[in-house]
Amino acid sequence: MQAIPSEERAAHEELQPIHHEPKSFFFKYLWSLDHKMIGRQFLWAGLGFLLVGGLLAMMIRWQWAFPGKPVPVLGSIFLRSQGGAIGPATYMTIFTMHGLIMIFFAITPVLIGAFGNFLLPLQIGARDMAFPWLNALSFWTFALSLVFVILSLFGELGAAGAGWTTYPPLSTNVGTPGSGQTWMVAAVFVTGVSTIMGGINYVTTVIRHRAPGMTWMRLPLATWGLWLTAILNVLFVPVLGSAALLLLLDRLFGTQFFIAGATASVSGGGDPILFQHLFWIFGHPEVYILILPAWGIVSDLLSFFSRKPANWYRGTVYAMIAVCVLSAMVYGHHMFLTGFTPLLGQSFMLLTLIISVPAELLFLNWLRTVWQGSIRLTTPMLFSLGMLFVFGMGGLTGLYLGATATDIYLHDTMFVVGHFHLTMAAASFVASLAAIYFWFPKMFGRRMNETLGKVHFWITLVCLVTVFSGQLLAGYSGQSRRLYDPYQYTFLKHLLGVNRVASYAAFLLLFAQFIFIYNFIRSLIAGEKAESNPWQVSTLEWFTASPPPYHNYDRIPTVLRGPHEFADPEVRRRLGRDFIGQAEELPEAMPPAVASAG
Amino acid sequence: MIGAEAMSVIRYRPRGAREQATAWIGMVIFLGSWAMMFAALFFSYGMLRARLPVWPPPGTPPLPRLLPGINTLIIGLSSVAMQRGLSAARRAQAAAVLPAIAAGFLLGLAFLSLQFVLWTGLWRAGLRPEGGAYPSVFYGLTAIHAIHVAVGLGGLGWLLTRAFFHAFGPARNLGLRLWTGYWHFVGAVWLLMYLTVFLI
Amino acid sequence: MTLLLAPLPEKGIGLPHDASLHGWRIDALINETSVYVGLLFVIMVAWVVLACLRHGPRHEARFDHGTSTRSIAVGLCIAGAIFFVVDGPLFVNSLILARDVFGNFAKVEADPKSVRIEITAHQWAWVARYAGPDGKFNTPDDIVTFNDVVVPEGTPILFQLVSTDVIHSFNIPNMRAKIDAVPGMVNRVWFEAKETGEFDIACAQHCGLNHYKMKATLTVLPRPDWEKWAAEASANSARDYDPDDREAHWGWDWSEHARI
Repeated sequence: MQAIPSEERAAHEELQPIHHEPKSFFFKYLWSLDHKMIGRQFLWAGLGFLLVGGLLAMMIRWQWAFPGKPVPVLGSIFLRSQGGAIGPATYMTIFTMHGLIMIFFAITPVLIGAFGNFLLPLQIGARDMAFPWLNALSFWTFALSLVFVILSLFGELGAAGAGWTTYPPLSTNVGTPGSGQTWMVAAVFVTGVSTIMGGINYVTTVIRHRAPGMTWMRLPLATWGLWLTAILNVLFVPVLGSAALLLLLDRLFGTQFFIAGATASVSGGGDPILFQHLFWIFGHPEVYILILPAWGIVSDLLSFFSRKPANWYRGTVYAMIAVCVLSAMVYGHHMFLTGFTPLLGQSFMLLTLIISVPAELLFLNWLRTVWQGSIRLTTPMLFSLGMLFVFGMGGLTGLYLGATATDIYLHDTMFVVGHFHLTMAAASFVASLAAIYFWFPKMFGRRMNETLGKVHFWITLVCLVTVFSGQLLAGYSGQSRRLYDPYQYTFLKHLLGVNRVASYAAFLLLFAQFIFIYNFIRSLIAGEKAESNPWQVSTLEWFTASPPPYHNYDRIPTVLRGPHEFADPEVRRRLGRDFIGQAEELPEAMPPAVASAG
Repeated sequence: MIGAEAMSVIRYRPRGAREQATAWIGMVIFLGSWAMMFAALFFSYGMLRARLPVWPPPGTPPLPRLLPGINTLIIGLSSVAMQRGLSAARRAQAAAVLPAIAAGFLLGLAFLSLQFVLWTGLWRAGLRPEGGAYPSVFYGLTAIHAIHVAVGLGGLGWLLTRAFFHAFGPARNLGLRLWTGYWHFVGAVWLLMYLTVFLI
Repeated sequence: MTLLLAPLPEKGIGLPHDASLHGWRIDALINETSVYVGLLFVIMVAWVVLACLRHGPRHEARFDHGTSTRSIAVGLCIAGAIFFVVDGPLFVNSLILARDVFGNFAKVEADPKSVRIEITAHQWAWVARYAGPDGKFNTPDDIVTFNDVVVPEGTPILFQLVSTDVIHSFNIPNMRAKIDAVPGMVNRVWFEAKETGEFDIACAQHCGLNHYKMKATLTVLPRPDWEKWAAEASANSARDYDPDDREAHWGWDWSEHARI
């Protein structure tokens, strides 16, 4: 173990001086420069929109279970003019807004905005982000994009309706002339700007503000996941930005980047497929943007609650890096049926299938971490194992879609919907919940109720699996996605039963979330006070107060070891416990007080 | 109360060498990120051009080369001026900083004005954005670039006022350094745009 | 010509009835993959459950970072083995199927029996055009049908598709055929029906308000019946031909794979 020179510590203290905590409401809660507060701002905004996106999902599920029937409760509030029932135009906007809100305005702010902000500086032993001002600007830019989303909901001719993928020409004035679509494309652009600001901050912070001794291979895996996500964001969100810009030019200024065929005024029009290239060059990395933080968090939690070091830490890191490198090279599998040349399609197929190797390594590492452990089935651990379950299902079903032959039949079916919900939605959601249950004590200084958490877990897992298995089965039986009334088709009529079961599970899933909301709010107000390290784990953030002071660390820690030092016999002998913090010095012998107590 | 606190949050604070290096790294990451956006625009141009048999399509007025060529020279000179201002600040030649930034700013303004002349000329010649992929690429790419030039001019204007009130020095030139980096980036993008959209 | 049964409903959860000559090859690949995938998933879940049961709080955790050469080698070998056993067949079979069957347009084009059909998709209908006896598209004897595609049994059917407005996707689940119809480009797909009957043609790509109703019927007739139908329909078309109706002459020259 090499010693940390004292000059390096001094340089860190000089680089990150302790600032005074602002006291006024405006600087404490609104224009706060504190990464923990900005993280909480993202958390509230993200959870709020998660609920909006969830309610939209319920309306879709209702339509598939009881097509054309008035929607209970929601219908009488929002769809009064249509007698409470969902019409085809409304349905279009519902599934479009559901997708866009969930991806850009719910999961992204919760996983990346909230946990990225909250965790990164704490886990690397920093006092704040590298650019606190940019961080605040990032949140308020995000808030501006939320205003655009709300404007879209009230747009003339309804909200955006071209699907979350926003394929032109449907998303140009040819297909969706209403202002709702324009507002939504603008919202995606603005939220992209916010994401890039956050990404620049995260990338720079981890490069520059790691505490002395926090080498790259001592970073917690959650930090690795969030950092790699930030890199992907910085690289690929601008590509989405350019697609959104060009689409806005087409919509507002009459250019013809994406309009072709009979709708173009002259031959030599644009190319609708161009948008798909731009969209998926961003869109496939986006899948990993949403899942890498989840992988990182789960990798840490599995080790923490197995009380055992993470299996082959470096392997997990390399696998995540490999996935990032491959992520932009596989996007063509979303476009197998657009008329690719065979060679192009087959190249994308090969790269897509290769990405399963690092994914398998990740899984093997997770499975071998829990094996021979001393597993504590706390709520965060249950959610982490639940993530393995749903992500396992989602990842394995991806195989069928990555191969050109099987994709012919399964492309654009509910099978795709089930697959990407299991990976992006269920896995990210379950990992977000694991993270919330785990870091709640650190964020708010109180503990959440474990019993309610476990009840919440079991209902959530069973329902998620039922809903998305239902989608997989419906798709396997041929049901196309985005159908207002699938039963128009003779070959889909018999799927009403499957869809209904999935819908009932979805409604139950929603109700289970009220257990969570109750638990969350109750714990926030009256939860048991948490000490600094309630889970008895080893990363830096658990060695400062809960919640951490404004400046995080009174003294910037000096890191001595990796993040998963559990079950070390030497530590047990000298400290009398099964873990040692990343910055804790190992005493020569067991302190007498502990020795006599033990 | 709030006033004093606001001042403590936004007041100008001299930054140490390490902090300046951090800011520069952030800027480089930002420019790398933004380069991806322009790369996507150039990719779009390439794809649209590759699928048409003739480029420009028959019946469209050709793009001029001389005027944008002069403009390339102007934005290049503007970059040189900014770089000279930065090195003057580093060498503590306070008197040379202000004229250099002023020259950079004015040349930037000239660039935007000539762009405007270019657009109006082609518009009058009948090139309209709704005329297909060719005019879309021309107007779209140059307009998006011009917005970046305008943002840069805002930054240069701010540098100008700061240079007017307190000269930049060897240890205090972070803002100048960051905006000069941005300005070089915008110039480099223009050079690429001139080569691809106008010349070949 | 009165074979017109409605499309038959499907039963149970599973792949829809396969009425094409080559669809079984996709089905077999899907089902083979399902076996591997199911096995992997069961092993994973069993592993986690077993770990939770056997290595609970009372079990003493082993101090092991999993970094021994042996441990890493085992991990890499397992990942590699899964890749070759599960991904390998998918990749190889996809290549073979693309070369021999679904992407083998040269063979279909060379077959003198092949029937060629041009499809124009628009919001929200499929319009089909047959060349008629002269074998040329956009001539008075072309048969044009609306949301109604009639094809012979046991014959390769070759489609070229365009779209006039937004992107659609031409999807015949019972024939395991699907391809996007994109404005500004011509795409193609082919299949061969092995049995007669009526089947649904669906749109698989969200194309706006009535996407869910963009439905056409595929009728597969015995070859002699189909020939009789084609002759009759072509005669009717020639009789009703209106040279001034420019809108109706949307067909394109088949041999040119030109973009519109």
